[in-house]
Amino acid sequence: MVLSRKPRLAVVAERADELSLAEQALAYVDELYGLARHLCQTPSDAEDIVQETYARALGGVARLAPAANLRAWLFRILRNCFIDQARRKKIVLEIPDDTVGERAVSEVWDAAALDQLRYLAAADLERALGELPVELRFIVLLDAQGFSEAEIAEIARCAAGTVKSRLSRARARLRATLKETR
Amino acid sequence: MSELDPNSSEADRLIAAALADHVRRPAPRRLHDQLARAHLAQRSPWRTRISLASAFALGAAVAAAVAIAVIRPPVTDAVFVDEAVGDHLRIIDAQHPLEVASSDLHNVKPWFTGRLDFAPPVSFVGDDEFHLRGGELAVFLGHKAAAFVYQRRLHTISAFVFADTEPRPRSETTARGFHVIAWASGGFGFALVSDVGWDDLRLLEARLRN
Repeated sequence: MVLSRKPRLAVVAERADELSLAEQALAYVDELYGLARHLCQTPSDAEDIVQETYARALGGVARLAPAANLRAWLFRILRNCFIDQARRKKIVLEIPDDTVGERAVSEVWDAAALDQLRYLAAADLERALGELPVELRFIVLLDAQGFSEAEIAEIARCAAGTVKSRLSRARARLRATLKETR
Repeated sequence: MSELDPNSSEADRLIAAALADHVRRPAPRRLHDQLARAHLAQRSPWRTRISLASAFALGAAVAAAVAIAVIRPPVTDAVFVDEAVGDHLRIIDAQHPLEVASSDLHNVKPWFTGRLDFAPPVSFVGDDEFHLRGGELAVFLGHKAAAFVYQRRLHTISAFVFADTEPRPRSETTARGFHVIAWASGGFGFALVSDVGWDDLRLLEARLRN
């Protein structure tokens, strides 16, 4: 028997690792598509960036650092794919000015107003999300997907303090929009 | 900054809960298939290296699987779940209102009379947590079935009821991002399908079983 330079078991293990990365990554298709669908204007655009995300992640374009968070890594690639797609389509993405605070709004949330939020219509929520600048929408959707602020900072490539202030502004805008729709 | 009402954090919590529901949107099946074909197909170079002994073992396993498939009843769990999810998607994707749109079970159940060859044994009228939206006729595993449609926050839940004499153990499965709970009782089969969380789906199951 001719022995290869690399022990056979090591070769098999490497292949197994590749397979398990693809299999693990493909468990996040629904989550990635759910977020992409809220970023992109059409379902086919959303499908395109999910396809591109996996092509970059599993095609060797992007590298996953050892012990890195696979889910957060995929969402970061998705964000990059979305930005690239917007550039190709010449869509100008509004970058929030973190130095400007939200305008003062007096809010009263009585029991009736809170009750209306309990039975929020999907269309109202969709409209309120659509009115957010894309970066705020992205962050608030990552929060809704259960990512921590530290993970969101890693995905969006910004400081944890920036995530905190953007989340707070996004929530304030959502509250204001949803209150106006009543 | 806003002048925050103490209740605004409760408003945030409610909005966050609605968003968590809303952001979940299962990817189309063709996208799953395309991605699996593109990225799981890389197995083949490895497979070409497997030894002859492994090939025999694989062949034996395939033969055993085929034998099991022949012996097993024609309707496998995978077919059952796929059919349930497909019917649920037809309901939520439908551009038309439900065939019987009513929150009153006493309107919904009689609507099935004459349209089915059985009376669906459903007595849960809906409540604050699970609003009954109505019903539809469905074709489930080649037979007519009743679909009761409930709403949990932003989620639609389809409850399929069909005549089924097969002993079907209770099962919980996830397919295409949807949760499916199936069970059989008293000569009927039941399948609940939704993208709602497991706890909510189990709550509805308990209400339907009572």
